Amino acid sequence: MEDFNIKETSNGQIKILHLEGFLDAHTSSSLESTFNRLIDEKSFKVVVNFDKLSYISSAGLGVFMAYIEQMRNEQGDIKLCEMSDKIYNVFDMLGFPLLFEIYKEEKNAVEKFNTPD
Amino acid sequence: MPSRSLILPISEMKDDNNKILIKSSTKNLAEVRNFIEEKALLIGLDSQVINQIILSVDEACTNIIKYTHNYNDTNTIEVKVSDTDNQFQVEIKYKGEGFDPNKVKTPDMVEYFKNYKVGGLGIPMMKKFMNKIEYNHIKPDLNQLILTKSL
Repeated sequence: MEDFNIKETSNGQIKILHLEGFLDAHTSSSLESTFNRLIDEKSFKVVVNFDKLSYISSAGLGVFMAYIEQMRNEQGDIKLCEMSDKIYNVFDMLGFPLLFEIYKEEKNAVEKFNTPD
Repeated sequence: MPSRSLILPISEMKDDNNKILIKSSTKNLAEVRNFIEEKALLIGLDSQVINQIILSVDEACTNIIKYTHNYNDTNTIEVKVSDTDNQFQVEIKYKGEGFDPNKVKTPDMVEYFKNYKVGGLGIPMMKKFMNKIEYNHIKPDLNQLILTKSL
């Protein structure tokens, strides 16, 4: 079976989620659990690194939609980065760049949290 | 990459290796994706087109598993592929209450994001990635969904 893993690191108050593998209707609950825990821990500034993610379906996109409003209401955000063209095409095709900040490199996403407008 | 005209159409391949039958569970989505990828690679489709077909079939099967079969994996889903010179087709057969994706209105994405909506993106994705989606209720308790990608 194809797998999905999340590796978590921190940079100051910012949590960085490194997604690996296949994010679909079967595996998306694991990402939901991670976001629920981050909210419990009051970690509202989150960078999601897609470098090692091979696949995403609408179930995966739905997880980001489910948490973005709450993170922003708590003065945080979910910033996305390091997507392959294949993954970016899925986000872009449905218009996600209208709502989400998507960066080429992780350091740019982290810097944006540290230097808000 | 070999010319597509030199490659045997999937429909002329021996046995029933142009279709799979899975139990209706999201844990089997990976098996469906691998099956579609394997068949699409055989006829030399490029990786972007393959990903679009894989996503569309994943979304269709996910909807059947969630909404028609309510995650009850005693149900099954059959996925069958065929191709001609100018199209790749995936036929999905399942029992239970069917639904026609064409009857689902595509959301206005500006409004969708403005209101922080969640869900309902699987069918819009299928419609964007495939050229034709056909739904047929073919027997009293059998539904057929045909996803067509022009090549």
